[in-house]
Amino acid sequence: MVEIAEGCVLTSVPATTRLVLQGRPAALAAAATALGLAAAPPMLRAATGPGGVALRMGPFELTVLPGGAGREALEAALAGLPHSLVDVSDRNVAFTLEGAHAADVLAALCPLDFALAAFPVGMATRTVLDKAGALIWRTAPQTFHIEVWRSFLPYLKDQIHEVARGMTFDLLAVQ
Amino acid sequence: MQKFSAFSLARQALGRHLGWQAQWRSVAPKSSYDIIIVGGGGHGLGAAYYLAKQHGLRNIAVVERGWLAGGNTARNTTIIRSNYLFEQSSSYYEHALKLWEGLSDELNYNVMFSQRGCLMVAHNVHDVQVFKRHVHANRLNGIDNEWLTPEQVKAFCPPLNISPTIRYPVLGGALQRRAGTARHDAVAWGYARGASDLGVDIIENCEVTGIDRDASGRVTGVQTTRGPIRARKVGVSAAGHSSVVMAMAGLRLPLQINPLQALVSEPVKPAFPCVVMSNTIHAYISQSDKGEMVIGAGTDSYVSYTQRGGLHIPAHTLEAICELVPDFRRLRMLRSWGGITDNTPDRSPITAKTSVPGLYVNCGWGTGGFKATPGAANLFAWTIARDEPHPINAPFTIERFREGTLIDEAAAAAVAH
Amino acid sequence: MLLIACPYCGPRAEIEFAYGGEAHIVRPGPDVTEAEWATFLYLRDNTKGVLAERWRHAHGCGRFFNALRDTRTDQFVETYEIGTPRPDARQGKAA
Repeated sequence: MVEIAEGCVLTSVPATTRLVLQGRPAALAAAATALGLAAAPPMLRAATGPGGVALRMGPFELTVLPGGAGREALEAALAGLPHSLVDVSDRNVAFTLEGAHAADVLAALCPLDFALAAFPVGMATRTVLDKAGALIWRTAPQTFHIEVWRSFLPYLKDQIHEVARGMTFDLLAVQ
Repeated sequence: MQKFSAFSLARQALGRHLGWQAQWRSVAPKSSYDIIIVGGGGHGLGAAYYLAKQHGLRNIAVVERGWLAGGNTARNTTIIRSNYLFEQSSSYYEHALKLWEGLSDELNYNVMFSQRGCLMVAHNVHDVQVFKRHVHANRLNGIDNEWLTPEQVKAFCPPLNISPTIRYPVLGGALQRRAGTARHDAVAWGYARGASDLGVDIIENCEVTGIDRDASGRVTGVQTTRGPIRARKVGVSAAGHSSVVMAMAGLRLPLQINPLQALVSEPVKPAFPCVVMSNTIHAYISQSDKGEMVIGAGTDSYVSYTQRGGLHIPAHTLEAICELVPDFRRLRMLRSWGGITDNTPDRSPITAKTSVPGLYVNCGWGTGGFKATPGAANLFAWTIARDEPHPINAPFTIERFREGTLIDEAAAAAVAH
Repeated sequence: MLLIACPYCGPRAEIEFAYGGEAHIVRPGPDVTEAEWATFLYLRDNTKGVLAERWRHAHGCGRFFNALRDTRTDQFVETYEIGTPRPDARQGKAA
């Protein structure tokens, strides 16, 4: 956990399991049921059930962060349905950005609108952070869960620190 | 035509320079010509000049939609070189380079051709292998190109950062010493002046809206915004609008149109001695005689006729340049612009007859047509005048895409597409 | 930079997308002639006006979709799903 600027804390997320599920609506619905959800979340939304988190990345795609016995339930539910389920746990690394200025730091690296009305809590999407592809999930009004490919992490952390340093200068200048 | 010389300059100075004539005649279209060239850029004006000068034809018009040389002739970064990989292309570009070397004398017009050398910088093993292959291929074809070590690169172009620790380190470079730059407007104006003097009608603000054909399919003239004009032969040299014009004769071309951007810095004292190109980081740089750093960026990915592109494209180029040439970090960029380039799938041009009798096309120059201006003009004129290609441009047909005889110059074209 | 309305994710910046060239180009069958194959591979309209083209939301949902865009202005008329016929551009708001 590093306070990279006043009002912005970067915390590494411990290694965890991540699965990418591609399939037609029937497969996505079966996956949702297995995770204990009523239905697959709508586009660009996350849903959390007893079996883990499902993030709706595309019309035919979920990123799943399984918890408890979620993975086994998922695999069992999908058996017999056409689908592709890929373990990308090692490819991705995750961290959180938290604090009053977390959205400002992201906004400096990404053209998306991070205002709460445009990017509410529970929204998740893939996008580009500076030049690295990234998954951004808003878990609380001032907290973002971010996943990037492992080799991009040092680059992206440098970029985030660079932005944060500029913001700190700005805060000092205002005072 | 008034000749330019030290004597004429002195004589005009005595008359307060009020005695200079217009450099070419501005005329209204006649009802009929032997040959009409569509497109008043360097290639089209040059073709008209060579038709008149070398093939004895006089009844020629160049019709231009806007003003002379307002398209890609005015929008490129004026790099001239002939270090292309394949024999067919290197002989085409070398033909052009040899004409460049005598062009100011030929036209009695200073085209400001400066053979300051073009250095293509290699940043990874792949670049090194590709450029060395180019060096060897060029030398076998009698074209100068040599391999430089990083230290030799630094000696030839001192502003470059050859530190091995940067993101894209300089591992060497291929140098063509006879390459360089020229003044883009002067080339077009010089050809326009020379052609006009030989009787060619240059007609601006005259957009072609249709191509007329007789019952046998043969070209009989063009429809324009200034009325119909009859012609026995029509040569289309319309760069980014080639597809639009050729569609008027029912022809589709193997082209995709993309915006290509360039930009210049504020002018500074002489600080950059040569042309530097880098395929990998996608940058090309030279310093103009006005002192501006002239920088070429990459192509935008999509089809567009807007003559502009996205800011992220030049931004990407500038980020890389700031690392390769740290001195430039404090330069401010003054202007940026875009052109619309006509790219073929194999990045080689088309200078050829078409399946329509009397219709000829010179297109597909994509991101690198300026360097070929005199050569393309010269060979296009030959092709139109004799109704058959010169041996140099004979491989550059439309049919090569059907026959599979492509001339793949993606690496030599040096622009990321 | 273009603002592109992905049919699945909504409006996004151009840097999230990859261009896929002209849309509705049908791959010919096995009895193809040389000329038909060359046409499929290489010949393009480069329409100056409303062009149907493919985009892929590469840094988003990952899906291909089609778009109608005016190449004279870069204005998008509309976007639509792959596999659906080209909407009549003249009924679009910018045609």
